[in-house]
Amino acid sequence: MRKRMIGAVFAAMTVAGLCAGCGQTKERVNEAGESVITVWSPTDEPAIEDWWVEKIEAFNQAHKGKIHLQREAIVRADSYAYEDKINAAITSNDLPDILFVDGPTVSVYAANEITLPLDDLFTEAEWDDFLDSSRQQNTYDGKIYAVSATESSVALYYNADMLAEAGIRVPESKEEAWTWQEFYDAAKKLTKDGVVGTNIIMDKGEGLPYVLEQFWISNGTDLVSADGSQADGYINSPEGVEAAEFLNSLIQGGYANIDPIQKEFHNERAATMLGGSWEVATLENDYPDLNWGVTYFPVAEDGILTSPTGDWAASVTKNTQDMDAVKEVMRFLFSEENVATYAQAISKPPTRKSSYDVLTEYNEYPRSLFKEQLMETGHPRPRTPSYSVLSAEFSEAMLNIFTGVDAKEALDDAAAATDKDYNKYYAQE
Amino acid sequence: MQVSVNKISERKAAYLFIIPAVVLLAAFLLYPALQTVRYAFTDYNIMRPDRIKFCGLNNFIELFQDKDFWIAVKNTLHFTVLVVPFQTVLALALALLISSRRKGVSIFRAAYFSPQVTSMVVVAILWTVLYNSNPSSGLLNALLVNLGMEPCGFLNDPKTAMNSIIFMSAWQGAGYQMMIFLAGLQGIPKDQYEAASIDGAGKIKSFLYVTLPGLKNVISYVIMITVIQAMKLFTQPYVMTKGGPQNATRTLVYYVYEQGFQKRNFGYACAVAAVFFVIVISLSVGMKKIIKAD
Repeated sequence: MRKRMIGAVFAAMTVAGLCAGCGQTKERVNEAGESVITVWSPTDEPAIEDWWVEKIEAFNQAHKGKIHLQREAIVRADSYAYEDKINAAITSNDLPDILFVDGPTVSVYAANEITLPLDDLFTEAEWDDFLDSSRQQNTYDGKIYAVSATESSVALYYNADMLAEAGIRVPESKEEAWTWQEFYDAAKKLTKDGVVGTNIIMDKGEGLPYVLEQFWISNGTDLVSADGSQADGYINSPEGVEAAEFLNSLIQGGYANIDPIQKEFHNERAATMLGGSWEVATLENDYPDLNWGVTYFPVAEDGILTSPTGDWAASVTKNTQDMDAVKEVMRFLFSEENVATYAQAISKPPTRKSSYDVLTEYNEYPRSLFKEQLMETGHPRPRTPSYSVLSAEFSEAMLNIFTGVDAKEALDDAAAATDKDYNKYYAQE
Repeated sequence: MQVSVNKISERKAAYLFIIPAVVLLAAFLLYPALQTVRYAFTDYNIMRPDRIKFCGLNNFIELFQDKDFWIAVKNTLHFTVLVVPFQTVLALALALLISSRRKGVSIFRAAYFSPQVTSMVVVAILWTVLYNSNPSSGLLNALLVNLGMEPCGFLNDPKTAMNSIIFMSAWQGAGYQMMIFLAGLQGIPKDQYEAASIDGAGKIKSFLYVTLPGLKNVISYVIMITVIQAMKLFTQPYVMTKGGPQNATRTLVYYVYEQGFQKRNFGYACAVAAVFFVIVISLSVGMKKIIKAD
């Protein structure tokens, strides 16, 4: 009898445990009758975590009795842990109200109807205050699906001492930006004594399409068509193959490493680097003795002046139940004041033009160069519902080219895989 | 009469006791496995769980024509066929080296076992640095260059990438098998060695005719678990090479992950997983039969 009791208790506990594990859903209205709005975003550096605490408290104070804002910071232990959590929530139909997503995936979520259009969030005049590059990134099929507070850009950093020693001139306006040939010659000349001429982002991941796509754009093509429906004829066009071969010539010549060490440029092991706007703060704070400068992103011969852009953006999901409250929160998070304070906390260029009146450091070199690129030459990554496939295929193709596969062949494979995904899921819609 | 009533209630209690295990297995193993098979016949994309369509055998037809899938099969077999004997021999050699009761042996035992207690992700990151193709930053290449040899691409060269992973995996995994062998060695009665030496057997002969036969069961157990673990290779390509260069390290499990989570082709990934399951099951059954037949 006793044994049976113990067994039954065990069984009951197990079953109860299982049920408790699966049964929880997001709280949408709390005991005080307030509409609960949940935000998911990746954990960030302390300055940003503090920003969130302060802003959420201010918002909740002002909306007592009506709206309760809360944020779940999700650890991005590896680059896909956050996405895995989103995938799980999509499956169980339990997404938060506001979801932060990486810039190029805005179109992926929009095309799959996971996020909702936000065109009426701001007035026309207010939208005009946002940078074109950011609005473009957050637009899919003619509608705005997300809002960003910050932007990013990439330019060519250089070691001023090494360039001076080699007698290499640095471009001072974007019209003088180095052509590919000039970039190649400089990298070649600067490669010596264990120092490589340049560092092109080689993270084997998202960094590759983020930075290297610009070589396609500058050469008059892109990775996919403007409507995002086709890769064949773009990524593998003659201009695209030429861009890939140019990048490969840097690797094959030994002027850039396929496996760069961490902080190669910062540690004076690379004379130049295609680096993000966020490196300014790192170099200023952690490498005060390095004599560095930054100049414009290289351009193809007679090509288009261009530079990478893009950053995380907040979108509203289909699982939200109180659209008015969500809009109130979004208008608060992306107000002129909050965009400026957020951008300042994270040391990234803000997306609202008016914020540059407050953040005057962007009027001075080196930050002014990134602001200039953002306003005049920025291009966001392709907006296609097949972006996840395109990004993975592009990185793989580039690594294959750098290890000896023919450029046309590798890019043909990437084009075929991307188009296959688009045709399988999105073509008929 | 009393005895049989006790037996019946004991049997009932036994069922009650296995309920927790059965419920857990059913919830976390059986149910997901059956769902995998179900999804393998659909076009499930993670982003659109509300639009799953049954697509018959399409995924399987596509799979058998997919050259990346066959490359993944080939790579997985390449890894298994090389790593299993290499790691087993290495583990046995280490076990023999430290099985003596000499002073200081426990330090070596701990040292050989230590990679095993380190997370594979950490080990993989460390070896990525060691294998760096640039002699000014990769330790192994610096060594080669100092010895007057050409630097090697290791993880960047499709010819050497998988073998580099095999070497580091054996280095990491051998410690665990070594412990099992050590236990096995201690199970061989001392008098067998004494008898052999009286019969005039030297070190090699007593290894061949006493140690090896004595370890037969342990060896087959070690080979079996190493094969199954090797088939599941994922962490090393994920951390070190992302399946490249040129597909050289894309294994079956990595391919499942890549298709399912990165490219969100969940239905297709389930089909690959189902085929993988069949391969692993038939391998284990086949090996069991061979071992039993001996």
